[in-house]
Amino acid sequence: MEKTLFSLEKTTIQYNGHAILSDISLRIEEGSKIALVGQSGAGKSTLLTQLYEASNRDVALVPQELGLVRNLSVFHNIYMGRLNRHGAFYNILNLIKPTQKELINVRPVAEKLGLADKLFAPVQELSGGQQQRTAVGRAIFKGSPVFFGDEPVSAVDEHQSHTVLSTIMKSHKTVILSMHDVKLALHYSDRVIGLKNGVKVLDESTRGMKTSDLDDLYQE
Amino acid sequence: MLRFLVGFFLIISVIHTEQVFANTFVFTAIPDEDESKLRSRFDKVATYLTNQLAIEVKYIPVKSYGAAVTAFRNNQVQLAWFGGLSGVRARALVSGSTAIAQGVEDPNFQTYFIAHSSTGLKKSSNFPIIIAGKTFTFGSKGSTSGRLMPEFYIRKHFSKSPNKVFSRVGFSGNHSRTISLVQSGAFQIGATNFQVWKKDLAAGKIDTSKVSVIWETPSYPDYNWTIRGDVDKNFGSGLIERVKTALLNLKDPDLLASFPRKGFIPASNADFRPIVTVGKQIGLIE
Amino acid sequence: MLAVSVISWIYADIEIITQDPWNEVMRMVTGIVTPDFLETDNLITAIVNTIAFAILGVAFGNFLGFFLALAFHIRLVRAGCAFIRAIHELFWALVFLQVFGLSALTGILALAIPYSGIFAKVYAEILEEADTTSLKTISQSTGRISIFVFVRLPDAWIHFKTYSLYRLECGLRSSAILGFVGLPTLGFHLETAFAEGKYSEASAILIIFFLIIATIRKWSHAKLVPLYIVVSLMVIPWGLSDISITNVIRFFTEDIVPHPFRVSGPIDMITFASFFAWITTLFMDQALPGIIATIILTQIALVGAGALTLIFFPLISPKFFGFFGRTLGHIFLVITRSTPEYILALIFLLLWGPSMLPAVIALALHNGAIIGHLMGRYTESMVLRPDAPKGINLYAYDILPKIYRQFLAFLFYRWEVIMRETAILGILGITTLGFYIDSAFADLRYDRAILLIIITAILNLGIDVMSRTIRARLRLRTRVDLL
Repeated sequence: MEKTLFSLEKTTIQYNGHAILSDISLRIEEGSKIALVGQSGAGKSTLLTQLYEASNRDVALVPQELGLVRNLSVFHNIYMGRLNRHGAFYNILNLIKPTQKELINVRPVAEKLGLADKLFAPVQELSGGQQQRTAVGRAIFKGSPVFFGDEPVSAVDEHQSHTVLSTIMKSHKTVILSMHDVKLALHYSDRVIGLKNGVKVLDESTRGMKTSDLDDLYQE
Repeated sequence: MLRFLVGFFLIISVIHTEQVFANTFVFTAIPDEDESKLRSRFDKVATYLTNQLAIEVKYIPVKSYGAAVTAFRNNQVQLAWFGGLSGVRARALVSGSTAIAQGVEDPNFQTYFIAHSSTGLKKSSNFPIIIAGKTFTFGSKGSTSGRLMPEFYIRKHFSKSPNKVFSRVGFSGNHSRTISLVQSGAFQIGATNFQVWKKDLAAGKIDTSKVSVIWETPSYPDYNWTIRGDVDKNFGSGLIERVKTALLNLKDPDLLASFPRKGFIPASNADFRPIVTVGKQIGLIE
Repeated sequence: MLAVSVISWIYADIEIITQDPWNEVMRMVTGIVTPDFLETDNLITAIVNTIAFAILGVAFGNFLGFFLALAFHIRLVRAGCAFIRAIHELFWALVFLQVFGLSALTGILALAIPYSGIFAKVYAEILEEADTTSLKTISQSTGRISIFVFVRLPDAWIHFKTYSLYRLECGLRSSAILGFVGLPTLGFHLETAFAEGKYSEASAILIIFFLIIATIRKWSHAKLVPLYIVVSLMVIPWGLSDISITNVIRFFTEDIVPHPFRVSGPIDMITFASFFAWITTLFMDQALPGIIATIILTQIALVGAGALTLIFFPLISPKFFGFFGRTLGHIFLVITRSTPEYILALIFLLLWGPSMLPAVIALALHNGAIIGHLMGRYTESMVLRPDAPKGINLYAYDILPKIYRQFLAFLFYRWEVIMRETAILGILGITTLGFYIDSAFADLRYDRAILLIIITAILNLGIDVMSRTIRARLRLRTRVDLL
């Protein structure tokens, strides 16, 4: 039995008297690779946020809105994953002119995600997919064993989605991703949690599961 | 473009870097009449003094009487051509400073009260009481002939402040402007320095059909050259005496026209005691 | 507020005093069309000084303001900034003239001090509104400085740059104006030229001034800023800056100490009694009439600016005029709003004599042109329904109702600016607070001058608070860095 990292007990979240999550209980064990699936509005993002708040925030996070600093380059955004590891002076130095040492650290991450040629481009000049990969790069660079991603590849094309997702899986022991692409979700996770109108309707191992097994989640 | 700008500004900076002369002797003058060409006029005086004293002498222009006094007080100028009132104020603020010279005309200086022709006023030897209720302009707020003395006579004859005597009181800024404001009718009455009046009249700047003198004040001491007492210590002993000699020997009519004076004669602080008395009386000196 | 303005009209001193203004107008027009660039002594030096003072004042104010913005959550810092920006740069210059004399430092500080207060306020607001979505992903153990420079600063930086450029333009205007109190900038010669009726010379100086302002975007590269600062430091006249610390100490420990305390030996009841008499006289004879005149002038000018805005904004709006008409409108508004109101007032003063009228017209024109420009721009993005009326009907029934709230917001923002300008116009002889301050400096009575300046600042702060309250109550919001 693996160690439990996070757990929720009968959690209900309401907003304006309307339940977004109702009565959710779950346990996340170390080493599990979990996909959150369900229609948009089913409560995936809220659940992910809830788990993130329950963590000590030393989790690598890719929020849906990405949280990039749009005027800074890809390098700086990725570098921000490790902002807490250095003093203010070193950080300011790297803001003004990236040091050789940090370039050596950051470049491989950007290369893996296909961003090597855009390393010094301001993020606001990039496409949606490139921005999403930058946010993933920052999360990976953080070097945390746990990764939370809210639709981290929604704007990335299919071929690159595989590269990105396998990189995420390889670099983190525990991963929770909310996904709308059911095929990708089943391919990369070992456990799938299905939400429908804020209620947990499915929580199973993905072994032997077919995409059609999830159809129920997407029917009115 | 970028390179062009860099080059351009480097050139500007080389040409325009202000040279800092160590131990330059600096003087100023109150801006009492036409301010344009003030610099070209007084730069000639600076050249004269440089030649006479064999040290670097520079003139700096100021915009107001107060600024002239402040510059003198702060030792940014060591010598100044002051009016009676500004000279008294400056010497009160800088102990050891002395009046060393004055214009030939200055011991018997006068203020002219002038009026626009529409008032119908004519010249008289008595103070024109009839000016009450009209509009009136002084010269600069810190001027002796344009403010102190006329205010003194106004208060003396009306026992009231000018604000209560006239329907409107203005400060033109300098004597030439007082003349032109009364000439244009902007003000009905004005008080101006008699030397500037004579100079502008001679230069044909005054239309006597529009503006004329209606009263002349009794005479009083006015302009003077005042020097700081620490000049001997800072610039070499005997300099005060040499400056005085140079000023008294100034005979070039072209240079004298800047003031405008016929020549300079010796002066002392005591010569200006009447100004101190009057200044205290009307509350311009504490 | 309208009521106050109406009452103000009744008490205002509005009349044309000169007998023959048309003669002067003709001479002025002739002068304007025949600029003479060679008449003025030391014109090049004045141009160089104007630019150098502006660059150094804005740079130093920017630097100070940035750090003040970081401490803006402290109440004392906020109040201090509000106070230093409530005092007009010309008043600062008059104060520093006493302390540092006619030195480069006087000019730089006169701009930098009030500007730092303005920068602090605007920068604090920009930082407040910076996009902080990235904050969520950053580890909680990250240092505060690191978070600041990576999260808030990059987003704010672009706004800082835009705002600094705008401030540089204001700085050039202020720098030129400092010449009116004796610093060797363009205003020094401009005032002389106007006052002596040398309109060809004045016209030349104004043309040069407009050219500097109009080309600002061509030469103000961010990369060149360090070079500009170095060059400016080299060219400004340090020669006279024989700054002695004794002067500074004397100013604070003697000059500005109220007269009864200064002359008194041991401080006793009599000292306090004479101080009370001193301050009562000062307040009744100078401060009170000054305050009343300042408020009257401000209110009339504000309403005037509002009325002119409503006439001006259609001139540059594509909803009312074609390309040609709009271009003319733009030229008119650019000239009106880049001419400092101080100079406009001086021109009208020469034409109409020293009543409040010149000041009213100058302030209304300048501020009307600024707000008119912003409103005109605002109408550009408006979408009209296809069957919208045209001309007057479009103006009255469609455009005006839609932009009315925006218009009020801008107008209230300018309220405090107009009051600050009103006070300063006193130096030209209009009996607002500035007149009494200028008189106190002329009489070398710095104790009175400082007290009157503080009263002026408090009046400005009062208007600032009132304007903010009204805007909040009417729920008017707009970008501060536009104004």
